[in-house]
Amino acid sequence: MTPPPPESVAAMIRPTPALPDSPTNRDVMRVFMERPGLGWLLLIGLCLGGLAGGAATWIYQIYAGLGIAGYSHPIFWGAYIVTFVFWVGIAHAGTLISAILFLFRAKWRNAINRSAEAMTIFAVFTAQLFLGIHVGRIWKAYFILPYPNQRALWVNFKSPLLWDTFAISTYTLVSLIFFYVGLIPDLAIARDRTTGWRKALYGALALGWQGTSRQWKAHNRTVLHLSGLATPLVLSVHSVVSWDFAMALVPGWHATIFAPYFVAGAIFSGFAMVLTVMIPVRRIFGLEHILTDYHFENMCRFLLLTSCIVGYAYGIEYFIAWYSGVEAEKTSFYLRAFGPYWISTWIMLIFNGVVPHLFWFKKLRTHVPTIFVICTLINIGMWFERYVIIITGLSREFNPAVWGHYTPQPAELMIIAGSFSFFSILFLIFLKLFPVIPISEVKELVIHERAHGHGQHAEAH
Amino acid sequence: MPEFHRRDFLKLVGASAGAAAASGCGDHVTKLIPYVVQPDEIVPGIANYYASTCQACPAACGLHVKTREGRPIKLEGNPDHPVNKGALCALGQASIGWTYHPDRYKAPRKRNPDGTYSDVSWDEAIALLSGEIKKAGGRTWLLGGETGPTAGRWIDAWVTAVGAGGRVVYEPFAPEALRDAVTAVFGAPGEPVFDLSGSDFVIDFGSDFLESGPSPTEHARQLAAARDVSKPGAHAARFVYVGPRLSMTASNADEWIAARPGSEALVALALVKVALGANAGPLAGLVGDVDLAAVAQQADVPVATLERVGKALGAAKAPVLIPPGVALASRRAASTARTVLLANVALGALGKTLRIAPPREGKRSSYRETLALVDAMKGGSVGVLIVHGSNPLYSLPPASGFADALAKVPFVVSLASIADETSERANLILPDHAPLESWGDAESRAGIRGVVQPTLRPLYDTRAAVDTLLDVARAMGPDVAAQLPEGSFRSLVEQSFAGTDWHATLQNGGVFQEAAPLAVAVAAPAVEVAEPALDGDGEFTLVAASGALFNDGRGANLPWLQETPDPVTKVMWQSFAEISPRAAEKLGGLEFGDVIGVATSAGSVELPVVVRSGVRDDVIAISIGQGHTVGHWASLADGGRPGEKRGVNVIELLPALTDEAGGRAWLLAKARVASAGRHERLPIAQFSQDQRGRRLGLAVTLAELAGGAPAAHGATEAALPAVAADAGHGESAGHGAEGGHGGEHGHLRDFDAAMDRVPGGAYRWGMSIDMDKCTGCSACVVACYIENNIGIVGEEEVRRGRHMAWLRIERWVGDGSLEGGEDRVPIIPDESGTTVDIRHTAMLCKHCGAAPCEPVCPVIATYHNDDGLNGMIYNRCIGTRYCANNCPYKVRKYNWYDLALTRWPEPMRLLANPDVTVRGQGVMEKCTFCVQRIATARQVAKDENRSIADGEVTTACAQSCPTSAITFGNLVDANSAVAKAGSDPVRGYHSLHELNTRPAVTYLAKVKRGSIEG
Repeated sequence: MTPPPPESVAAMIRPTPALPDSPTNRDVMRVFMERPGLGWLLLIGLCLGGLAGGAATWIYQIYAGLGIAGYSHPIFWGAYIVTFVFWVGIAHAGTLISAILFLFRAKWRNAINRSAEAMTIFAVFTAQLFLGIHVGRIWKAYFILPYPNQRALWVNFKSPLLWDTFAISTYTLVSLIFFYVGLIPDLAIARDRTTGWRKALYGALALGWQGTSRQWKAHNRTVLHLSGLATPLVLSVHSVVSWDFAMALVPGWHATIFAPYFVAGAIFSGFAMVLTVMIPVRRIFGLEHILTDYHFENMCRFLLLTSCIVGYAYGIEYFIAWYSGVEAEKTSFYLRAFGPYWISTWIMLIFNGVVPHLFWFKKLRTHVPTIFVICTLINIGMWFERYVIIITGLSREFNPAVWGHYTPQPAELMIIAGSFSFFSILFLIFLKLFPVIPISEVKELVIHERAHGHGQHAEAH
Repeated sequence: MPEFHRRDFLKLVGASAGAAAASGCGDHVTKLIPYVVQPDEIVPGIANYYASTCQACPAACGLHVKTREGRPIKLEGNPDHPVNKGALCALGQASIGWTYHPDRYKAPRKRNPDGTYSDVSWDEAIALLSGEIKKAGGRTWLLGGETGPTAGRWIDAWVTAVGAGGRVVYEPFAPEALRDAVTAVFGAPGEPVFDLSGSDFVIDFGSDFLESGPSPTEHARQLAAARDVSKPGAHAARFVYVGPRLSMTASNADEWIAARPGSEALVALALVKVALGANAGPLAGLVGDVDLAAVAQQADVPVATLERVGKALGAAKAPVLIPPGVALASRRAASTARTVLLANVALGALGKTLRIAPPREGKRSSYRETLALVDAMKGGSVGVLIVHGSNPLYSLPPASGFADALAKVPFVVSLASIADETSERANLILPDHAPLESWGDAESRAGIRGVVQPTLRPLYDTRAAVDTLLDVARAMGPDVAAQLPEGSFRSLVEQSFAGTDWHATLQNGGVFQEAAPLAVAVAAPAVEVAEPALDGDGEFTLVAASGALFNDGRGANLPWLQETPDPVTKVMWQSFAEISPRAAEKLGGLEFGDVIGVATSAGSVELPVVVRSGVRDDVIAISIGQGHTVGHWASLADGGRPGEKRGVNVIELLPALTDEAGGRAWLLAKARVASAGRHERLPIAQFSQDQRGRRLGLAVTLAELAGGAPAAHGATEAALPAVAADAGHGESAGHGAEGGHGGEHGHLRDFDAAMDRVPGGAYRWGMSIDMDKCTGCSACVVACYIENNIGIVGEEEVRRGRHMAWLRIERWVGDGSLEGGEDRVPIIPDESGTTVDIRHTAMLCKHCGAAPCEPVCPVIATYHNDDGLNGMIYNRCIGTRYCANNCPYKVRKYNWYDLALTRWPEPMRLLANPDVTVRGQGVMEKCTFCVQRIATARQVAKDENRSIADGEVTTACAQSCPTSAITFGNLVDANSAVAKAGSDPVRGYHSLHELNTRPAVTYLAKVKRGSIEG
């Protein structure tokens, strides 16, 4: 039996008439405690519709066969894998922000890390759906797990797809733990301010958090260690995903640069997605004073950095294709830019390699509508990056007799739309169930600031 | 508890007992093992082979019908048959489908006055027909294709007995002009037999003898023998093709002389003039009048070419000239055939490469007689028309008025086995047995008599055509019956083999004692060479091309033939018009798939174009065979649109005209062509025929062959000395010898060639494919489909490249150039120019030693077995399709849908090979090297406590190949045929060798013999 907490500790965390609730608490709590508005209901209704459409299409696809998608003979991977890689990429921002930036003590991350982590988890869930959607016999998909069986069937540890299975499931698990550990203090705050089912839910999830210094110490140590654990995962997951391609001998895939190239691209797309989602959230819920332009600006700088890396990778790919002297490689890259998929390629090059350079201008990286537009373009560009790599690579391989073409079919578009709906539904529910801003961490900053008399901006610089 | 009355209880008991009893009545009992007393010759699981004869075309190749548990499942060539010697063409392979075709008539049926059909009993049908014949008497006519000698003999006897008007034999592709020419030139009827095997110079005047000629399988074998460079001392014959279109046959030539269609006789005379000068023997008179310059102008061939080729012809020891076949049978076909025949005589071919065999038994009619019958029908003087073994409503030009004529015949009877255009118009259908259900015989040439024996009990209530006719005669009265023999057709067939050992005949598939050639003397016939008249006007000459697959259209209802790419354009399931790039430019910049309207004096059609430089600028070529309105797969009936055509029927564009001797002419019309302003996506199997210098289809020149330098693989490989040096190892060195080149270069163990199989293992199965022998005929493709239960996906899916062929023939035009690929239009490089350099590369799973597909499969569904085979475990596959991405040859096929044979229309699935797993939705599949055949051979060898001997097991593709281009066997055995063939130091190479996949398939490069030098 846990002894009841001492009165003094309870007083510290409970609102008392003497000490009015902090504005941070109030503002953040309001976001998820208020009854959902009409807009939220409409949005989730729309997404539920999208999800239902996607799910129905998937069920039909399982029944009828993958033939309803646009695959053709040389192009055995299509929009599903494109979207899978896209979502895995999105899933990178959260852990990067919570783990790596935590280790680097970048304080500005505090305001955004909760939403970024949530997005990570939802994105990685969405991505995993596509592994199931992509395989031809989902009813046998468990074969990919190395489970003991009397037939002595085993999996192939040489296959990058198996590495993928492990990398992504590990990443999901660690991200989930990370997210949850960070959420515990806030859940306790919520528990103390709610009644009814919410109180029961938060009470159960808060695991008896009382905010004692001993608990805080343990919490901080856990976060630190988890950060250490998660940091290599940020780099490994997308490296492994990139090896799905780099380990194959398809011209345009078989390149040593793929791992860093994909990781940078993943962070790039992840940050862009965080911004795309947080800009409307901040606006709708009036969180401007917590999620300031300063945070956005820093994220834009990150986008600028990763865009440079990605742009460099694009350049190097072309250089190596030329420098290698391999005709198939050269042809693949030439036709990437000037072949049947030139539109996709130029979308990728311009949206990812050129447009983000607008962030060199402070005026633009602090102008929220511009940021929103550019981030949306980056999201589109990054989807097309994967489309270009996968589709153009496969369409122009070694044997020109079986060069072929691919056009996504309605089924694929339905399922992709369903995946965005799935992601959005999870995020919308998250908005209404959990604090979108980490209350405790922001408060910690506020207290810190008060104690040292520094402004956030000054500290960060 | 509520009361339960005794009466209610009894009612309930009665009702439930009744229900239980009734439920037992519903399904009929099916037996798991169908035999109570098992027939001696049937052992479940062991195949039985019966010798028979192919009835798909008049070449009548010998068959071995493979049956399992009483069902024929595959046709293979009879090695003892002198015509095909074990091989079988694509049509022959696919013809098994006629036995299991969903369109088969299941019982006699008669048309009701309202146009519907109702089944009738045989007795009723026979009574009906005999009554009608009694009424019509001499106004009864028979119209049908060539039959076997026995059937023909008794049908003719029947015609006399019942007092019918007569019988017209209608065979659309019959070589009528040639037959006439033999009679005219030698004064006696006979069958010309062109023997290419002993020839050193072959000129084909557009007969397309490898496709639709009189005996394509035999000629392919002979051509390969004449050009076999692997046999020391064998001369490598030169081959020139004269014709307006670079057909599949022409693709195998050394030189293509794109003479204007109709000028073949002139070209032949000019060549003879150059070759022989004044010593032109029987042609001396004609040759004297020939002015080379005038011929050159008329034929649109440079004088230099005529002189060069003519000189070479003069120098040749055993030349042979083959007169035009279907496509170039003009209105002067008879005189062209006579000219070419005489040219053969003048060049001394008679007795060497040409012999005149005695005529085959059986009635032959000319096309003129067919047209006369049509006129008689139109005039109302035919009361009963019995159609058998042909489909005149499809294959006669509508210009002949056959449709109207048919409508004027009061009582049309069809003896068809499968529904076709003509039978659908019949008043009475008396279905014949399918080819594999009937008895019969066939005569390939005088003395080569094949026997047809049934290998399946008739599936339906059908009756052999001759039996039907005999029954009709018997029903007409004793006086009629008395003129005809008693007994069944079977006994008649047996009687016609009287004097031979019937059992031995059945076992051998017939009696093969080729009759001695006729001793003939030239009768100096009147030959008048003139340009043939063409009907109508227009810029283009319409060439109705006769392809390798559909014959006269009879093959269109066989799904494998529809899904086998056209050997030249690689288009499937559809019709297309071939025009030259210059013509396309003139018509407004047409591209592949743009639809044009083609109009002649006889009719007009719309169809998409294939733009290729393999046709003359003034020619539009459309292949014969498509455009059926009836038939599963042949029409759009399988797509739920019955009565609609698949493709177009080029015969609709032809006037009903004959050559000067009354034979059927095909090169008849001028055509007006205009763009229809539409585009259609043609289903195509090969995106690019330009290999961009990649190591897919290589060729060596004669000089390189003589030099014996291992680096002689063209510029690409010369630039990669390491690769070239390695290619010289060939298969036996690279894989058979432990530690091959990998060890020498100190590679890691996994990259060692010795790891391609279990070290020290007894087998590494491999193949060598001689591209110099491959003609592109696609017999292997069809054989593979049928042997391995490969699914048919249909036209729409083929558009997405989803056809399931495990083996495909890639057609490469030269080494290629680094051009094209920017858009979605298929690439057909420039084929024009006189020197032909087209390489047919059979592409199948290479069973690589270091297979890229194996490491990427997460569940080990594809793996390497102890014999070095790249295995595929269908049950384990989850369908990630990673293996297919990683296969550089792209030979893995994926089941996008459930294509299993169980989804085929009944009773098609009966021909499934029980030894091969039927793949379900969502799994990958590919060539297994016919692992089921290896397993069968292994069991036999194991029982006898020995290892599998060389030649004991072969794949379906290798078995069917007319030219024996494919050799299969064990690479570990250095003395095996495959190891020897693959160790050719000059020609042996591995496809995409630079990827170090170490394939088990070694290609032998095509030999570029270059242009003909005089």
